[in-house]
Amino acid sequence: MVVDIDEKSLKHGVLGLVIAIVEIIRDALKLQAMKRMESGNLTEEEMERLGEALMDLDTAIEEIKEEQGIIESVKSVRDGLDEIVDDVLDRMINPERWKEESEQWA
Amino acid sequence: MGLDTKFIDKTNAMPGNENKVKEVGRYLYCIADAGESLSLGGIGIAKNRVYTIPYNDICAVVHNCPAQPYQSENHDIVKTWVITHQEVVDAAWTRWGTVLPLSFDTIIKGESDSNAEQNVKDWLKQEYERLKKKMEDVRGKAEYGVQVFWNPKIISQNLMETNQGIKELNDVIRTKPKGLAYMYRQKLENLIKHEMETGADVCFRVFYNRIKKHTTDIRVEKTKKAEQGLQMILNLSCLVHKDRYPELGEELDSINQMEGFSVRFTGPWPPYSFVGGVS
Repeated sequence: MVVDIDEKSLKHGVLGLVIAIVEIIRDALKLQAMKRMESGNLTEEEMERLGEALMDLDTAIEEIKEEQGIIESVKSVRDGLDEIVDDVLDRMINPERWKEESEQWA
Repeated sequence: MGLDTKFIDKTNAMPGNENKVKEVGRYLYCIADAGESLSLGGIGIAKNRVYTIPYNDICAVVHNCPAQPYQSENHDIVKTWVITHQEVVDAAWTRWGTVLPLSFDTIIKGESDSNAEQNVKDWLKQEYERLKKKMEDVRGKAEYGVQVFWNPKIISQNLMETNQGIKELNDVIRTKPKGLAYMYRQKLENLIKHEMETGADVCFRVFYNRIKKHTTDIRVEKTKKAEQGLQMILNLSCLVHKDRYPELGEELDSINQMEGFSVRFTGPWPPYSFVGGVS
């Protein structure tokens, strides 16, 4: 198979991938921030600062996506990853799928 | 169709094939509830002639093929084959009323043409009791696909209005400076997400039970991605007796009328999901 590389679309793809990863890290940060907040270890002032920082990060990511026209490409990377995780989990937790799989390879 | 000719070239020219003992096969579409020997014409995969091989009062619907599975890297070609497979099963189903569909690429092989035919008969004979029993299980019934969707926007909007915890949190957010408001908004979103997941579980159980009582048999399928911002919360294959079809329709209608919910109802199909393990 010949892989046709168009420099522009390559750039788009790589950038989309990078931003998707940044988004995932941001989501992990948010999750941590929420946990800290919920544990009650943060002062109001600290929460305010944390919230502002995360909000700025959100804004920066959205701006980059818009400027570079990669909203769709980021979404497709994330959807693709979601699907993989979904599929793996589905296979792990549903005994029915184990059966289907063993039948498939029998 | 251009695809078909390409495919014929390919299978006939399978590498190494000419040196081996030439094995032939019968491609099986389904088992039908009739003991007749008859041709259905060139409606098979790659325009092959489809005909029946009878044993006693049942028959296998087949075409002659090489003794190797239909395989292709090309997704479109495979899709065409699978669709043709379904069309043949449909034709048999329309004709005989009761069929046991087999899955794509079910092939019985033999060392010669007559031997392959005999192997199909032997298989029918050997499995006769089991096939007849399955035939009785699906007689007078058809398979329907039922998918229930919800519109997350409408559902979450309803939660905002009715759920006390969510309402309170929403009020708190308005009084906070922007950094804190952001943090609380995340909390609110998580809360809504959690409530919706619980809600989806409840809906699943409720709808499943409402639908199940109209079916003879039911299978839970994996939910798929939906379009237009909808989410699929329930995906079922139902085996339904034809007399009970109207009441199932009414049940689904009443779900369809609930705010934020919609139902997709497909069928009737031959009982693909309810003959597991026939081959």
